[in-house]
Amino acid sequence: MNVVQLEHLSKTYLKTGKPAVSDLSLNIPMGAVFGLLGPNGAGKSTTVMMLCGLTRPDQGTVHVLGIDVRAHANEVRKKIGVAPQEIALFPTLTARENLRYFGSMYGLSGSVLKTRIDQFLDVFGLSEKAGKQVHTFSGGMKRRLNLIAALLHEPDLVILDEPTAGVDVQSRNMILSFLEQLKKKGTSIIYSSHVLEEAERICSHIGVVDEGKLVAAGTLESVMGQHPDCSNLEHLFLKLTGKNIRD
Amino acid sequence: MKILSTIYKEFLLLIRDPGGMALIFIMPLALVIVMALVQDAPFRDYQELKLDVLLVDMDADSLGNKIRKSFQTAGQVNLVEERDSVVARQKVHDGEYKAAIILDPQVSATLRRKTRQLIAKVFANFGMEADTSDNLEVPTIRLKVLVDPAIKANYRQTLTSGIEKIIANVQTTWLLDELQDQLSEGKSDTKKIAFDLSQIASVDQRYAAENKFAGLMMNSVQHNVPAWTMFAMFFILYPLAGNFINEREEGSMLRLRLIAGSQFAVITGKFLFYFIICLLQFVMMIAVGIFVMPLLGLEQLALGGASTLILLTACCVAMAATGYGTLIAVYFKTAQQALSFGSVSVVILSAIGGVWVPIYVMPEILQNISRFSPMSWGLESFNDLFLRQASFGAILPNILRLLGFALVTLTASVLIHNSRTVS
Repeated sequence: MNVVQLEHLSKTYLKTGKPAVSDLSLNIPMGAVFGLLGPNGAGKSTTVMMLCGLTRPDQGTVHVLGIDVRAHANEVRKKIGVAPQEIALFPTLTARENLRYFGSMYGLSGSVLKTRIDQFLDVFGLSEKAGKQVHTFSGGMKRRLNLIAALLHEPDLVILDEPTAGVDVQSRNMILSFLEQLKKKGTSIIYSSHVLEEAERICSHIGVVDEGKLVAAGTLESVMGQHPDCSNLEHLFLKLTGKNIRD
Repeated sequence: MKILSTIYKEFLLLIRDPGGMALIFIMPLALVIVMALVQDAPFRDYQELKLDVLLVDMDADSLGNKIRKSFQTAGQVNLVEERDSVVARQKVHDGEYKAAIILDPQVSATLRRKTRQLIAKVFANFGMEADTSDNLEVPTIRLKVLVDPAIKANYRQTLTSGIEKIIANVQTTWLLDELQDQLSEGKSDTKKIAFDLSQIASVDQRYAAENKFAGLMMNSVQHNVPAWTMFAMFFILYPLAGNFINEREEGSMLRLRLIAGSQFAVITGKFLFYFIICLLQFVMMIAVGIFVMPLLGLEQLALGGASTLILLTACCVAMAATGYGTLIAVYFKTAQQALSFGSVSVVILSAIGGVWVPIYVMPEILQNISRFSPMSWGLESFNDLFLRQASFGAILPNILRLLGFALVTLTASVLIHNSRTVS
C-alpha cells in the first residue's frame, strides 16, 4: 500500500502565473523515508501543502494513507504530523506549555499527554529546559522542540521540512538518529531538505523535483543506479537540476 | 477542551507581555482619569459658571446696587469693584478679568426718568391726569459691557442675559413704583406696595427621572467613564490583532492549521479570552469611576439601578469590540497594516460615536453618521441606564445593533480565516 499517491498534480498560483507543480505523479510506499529533493522554488513546499490539504491542486488527485485529501482533509490531518521549516512555536511559552497546547489541539489530554511530553523531551534532551521560555532556546533546541510538536499524536506519516536547518552538529545527529529509529518502527516519513548527505543517510526513497516536475523518483539505490557516473547524491542532484542558481 | 486550552494559552501569552498588559489595563485607566479631569471644567460651564467681573459704578445709584445684589444671589459672577473705566478696560484687555460692566454717571436717574415719561404717556393716552412736563427725548440707556476676546461665547451670553434680566427687573419695579406714585398723587394716606417680582413667576427646573435616582445628571465622570471604557474595549484589537498576526508570521498559526478541527477552537478561544478581558476592563474602569474619581475631586460615577442591564450592555459592547478586533486581525496580512488601520478606525468610530464630545453638540451631519458607530450604540445605552434608568425595552434596539455588529464581524472573520486556511 502507498502512504502517498499523487496523480497528475498541477498547481499554478495566480500571483506568479507560473506553474509551481506541473503534472506530478508519484507513489510513496508505506514505511518509506522519502526524500523530497529539489532546488529552491522547485515546487517541494507546494507539493507538501497539497499533501496536507492547505493548498488545493488545480488538477490531479492526492491520496494520503488511502484518503482523498481534497474530500477529507481533516481526516488526513489527524493522521499526519508536520514540522514546518519555520519554528512554529510560541516564543514566550515554555517548551512544556507549547507541547501541552499543541497536544491538546490534537485531542490529547491528561496523563497520556503528560507522559508523551516527558518522553519526547527526554529523548530530545530538553527535559531540563522544559520550563524555560522558547525564545531563550538555541536554534538546535528550537528545531528539536519543533519536531516534537509534530510527533506528539504519534502520526502515521511525518512530514519534515528542513528539520535540521540552522542547527549544530550534535542537534543534527540527535534528530537524524531519532528519525532512523522512527524508520525502524515503520513510520512513513517525507523528508524535504537541501542537505543531501542527510538524505543519503536516512532516506530509503527519493524524488527530485525541478520547476514543478518530477525528474527522478524511486529507491535511493535504483535512482543512483540509473546514473552510474554520479558518485553521490549531490552529483546526481546537480546533474538532474543543473548548476544555475534558482532564486 | 481545545477552547479552554486556547484561552489558557492566550492568558499565558498576555501575562508575559508587559507592553500588552499596560495597553489593556494601565493605559485605559490613565486615559479615563486624564480625560475626566481635562473635561471637568467644560462640563461645569453650564452649571457652575463663576466669572470674575469688574464693576465700574460711576452712577453710584440704585442700578449698581441692584446689579451687585442680583449677581451675589445668583452666584455665577464674582463682582470686583473698580473706579476707573480706563483701568477696567486694560484689565479686561489683558485677560485679568473676563468682563467689566461700566455704569456711566446718571444711568439710574436716566432710567427713572424714562420710566416716568412712559407712565405719563400711558396716563395721558387714557385721558388721566399726568405730569407731562418732562417731554424731552431721552436716549436709550446702554450699559457698557467690556469682554475679554478670549471669553467663550456661552460665558458672554450668560453675562449679557444676566444684566438684561437685572435691567428688566429694575425697570419693571420702577414702572410699578411710578405707577403707584402717579395714582396716589394727592392721596396722602395711601401706602406704596413693595413688590417682589420673583413671587409672580419663576422657573422650576427638575430632572425628568422620577424615581430615587432623579437628580443624576451628565457631568465629566458620567460622560468620560463609559465613553473611554468603550474606547479601551474597542482598542482590544491592538493586542488581539498583534498577537494573531505574530502567530501567523512566526509559523505557529500554520501548525495550528495543520491540526484537524483546530480552527474553530483557535478563533473561539481567542474571541472568548479577549471578550473576558474586555469585561475586566469594563469592571476596572467602572470601579475607577466609583472609587477613584471622588478622590481626585470629581463626581462619583452613578450607575443607576439596573446592574443586570448594565452587565448585559457591557457584554454586548465586549462582543462587538472583540468581533471587530478579530476581523481586523484576520483581514490584514501584516501587523503594521492591521494596527495602523485598526487604531485609526477606532479613533474615528469613537469620535463619531460621541466618546470625545457628546453627540448632541456635533453638527447635524455627524449626528446622522454617529448612528452607525457601535460606540454610539453602547454609549447611548449606558447613558440611558445610568441617567435615565431606562428599561430593557428602551436599550433593546442598541443591544440588538451591538449583537448584530458582533455577529457580522465574527462571521466575516471566520469566513476570511477559513478561506485563507486553504489556498
